[in-house]
Amino acid sequence: MGGGLFVCALQLTLVLAVCNSEPLISLRGITKRYQHAGQTLSVLNDVCLTVHAGESCAILGASGSGKSTLLAILGLLSAPDSGQHRFAGQDICTACPDQLAALRNRHIGFVFQNFNLMPRLTALDNVALPLTYRGVARNEARERAMVRLVQVGLADRAAHHPADLSGGQRQRVAIARALIGEPALILADEPTGSLDTGTASDIMDLLLSLNREYHTTLVVVTHDITIARHLQRQIHVEGGRVQAFAS
Amino acid sequence: MSALQVQRPADLLCEALVGLRTLGKRSLLALLGIVMGSASVIALINIGNNAASEAEALFKGMGVDTLVLRFSEQPRALDTVRLHEMLPQLRSIAPIAQASVSLVFRGQAVHASLVGSHAALADAMRLTLREGRFFSDFDQLATFAVVGHQLAQELSAGGVPLQVGDQVRVNNYLYQVLGILQDQPDGLLMPIRASASLFVPLPGMARLDGRAGMGEVVMRAAADQDMPLLASAVRQAIAHLHGGQDVNILIAQQMIEGMTRQSRTFSYLLMALAGVSLVAGGVGVMNVMVMNIAQRKREIGVRMALGARRRDIRYLFLLEALALTAIGALLGAVLGGVFAWGYSLLSGWRFSFAVSSLVLGMGSTLLVGLFFGLYPAMAAARLQPVEALREE
Repeated sequence: MGGGLFVCALQLTLVLAVCNSEPLISLRGITKRYQHAGQTLSVLNDVCLTVHAGESCAILGASGSGKSTLLAILGLLSAPDSGQHRFAGQDICTACPDQLAALRNRHIGFVFQNFNLMPRLTALDNVALPLTYRGVARNEARERAMVRLVQVGLADRAAHHPADLSGGQRQRVAIARALIGEPALILADEPTGSLDTGTASDIMDLLLSLNREYHTTLVVVTHDITIARHLQRQIHVEGGRVQAFAS
Repeated sequence: MSALQVQRPADLLCEALVGLRTLGKRSLLALLGIVMGSASVIALINIGNNAASEAEALFKGMGVDTLVLRFSEQPRALDTVRLHEMLPQLRSIAPIAQASVSLVFRGQAVHASLVGSHAALADAMRLTLREGRFFSDFDQLATFAVVGHQLAQELSAGGVPLQVGDQVRVNNYLYQVLGILQDQPDGLLMPIRASASLFVPLPGMARLDGRAGMGEVVMRAAADQDMPLLASAVRQAIAHLHGGQDVNILIAQQMIEGMTRQSRTFSYLLMALAGVSLVAGGVGVMNVMVMNIAQRKREIGVRMALGARRRDIRYLFLLEALALTAIGALLGAVLGGVFAWGYSLLSGWRFSFAVSSLVLGMGSTLLVGLFFGLYPAMAAARLQPVEALREE
């Protein structure tokens, strides 16, 4: 655990350093269109958004509002058609796919509604998976994964496969996987959407505590206004445009 | 950001193997094609090799050091002493005259081929005797005969076995049996069937058949001679002795080379067949991998979100295809080896496993896996992360 604390302290200083220089995420005039049946659909229209390191934001919106597309762009999974996008000091529009993969690996932790764990890997190996894409040796990756499982309170489930875990436990494993790369940003897409109310509030508490204690930037996509109220900012997406409110 | 993030090969392999387990029955069917392809390559190469070495051994047993000279116009005589002086590389020289005769032994009449030759024939043809001895240079004018194995059995059919010292009537002459040959295969080069022949000294042949001329000369070279070179030396010497006589010289080496070439052509043909089954297996592997990737699009998307680069995805699926093929290649190697062994057993050949077949068989199978795994793996790597993630 001593190593873990040291790493967390290091991460904190890194996050503060980024915070001083420029915002973690900066979107300027982002547009995204889709071609469908010969028609051009504009999903995001001149979106401007700034998120500073250590902030917590909720992205709210009805289905079809463009919030999933916005999340994909924030997660570097999809490229906008026009506009400026800077993330962690890098110009995303000019980055090549391999650079984007490295940025996702090092700076973003994803938490999905459907957990998206690898069914054939144990909880421990699921958590360790992002590290293997950095070339970290299996044993070291497993040791570090164990630290994260302890952090989310699932040390005794390390050898279980996802099918043997409850929904809440699976989401904890997914959060541990998101944390293992010590990301500057956690992107959670409806993280409580598949969970019952009690488990959902546990998971939200866990995510918020990470934001509070380690100053990890937290962006949560949700349609639940009560969840959104727990976060510092609410960003409403409507008809491809965003409006931001502070709590 | 480090540009040098590389997934360790061992980890990659582990993941590929874990991925394979889930392929289940469909991968077994694809494996069948690969197993058959690999097995046929290995079996066919081994069968081809064993057949070739068997044929070669057959020839070698009959003497790679033998030359057979055939005259186009049969001379009355050949000065073998002179020839020997000119060509000391020849170990033995035995001219042959042939005729067809009927023999009578204790009322048993048998048609046989009569071979008139010198004492040197025993060495030149590597004849071994079951009983008695071969005639010597001092028996040139005697009415002595040596009986081939099969002929001796035919003559014994009356119930009284033919023995050394017995008298056999040939035309109007009585010949004394001096020896009986052992049963041994004839070389394909040889102009006579030793087993069915009666051997008599050449000078006495005129008594039995006035028209029988000297048709061939069987020669055996001393150790370590260059046979083609020796053959042309013999041709020159005969031309010198018999003034422009046209002769035909056969050496075993030519036939062995011809035979080896033929069996090589045969193996190439078999390998082409094996190639066809391998391609069929390869298409099976590609099919499985394409289905596999279609089913695991979401997983690919998640991996990309977690930081897998295109090449990580490509290697993952390429390795899965390769691991699948390797299992098939291994099973095929075992199956092919067993098949080749069984074939040799049935053919009565000596079985030897060619290591080159393992390298060639498994190597070509793995290459097929690599080739047919490449397209699906590259298709998987080209997926857009967000589209892969959206897949259900």
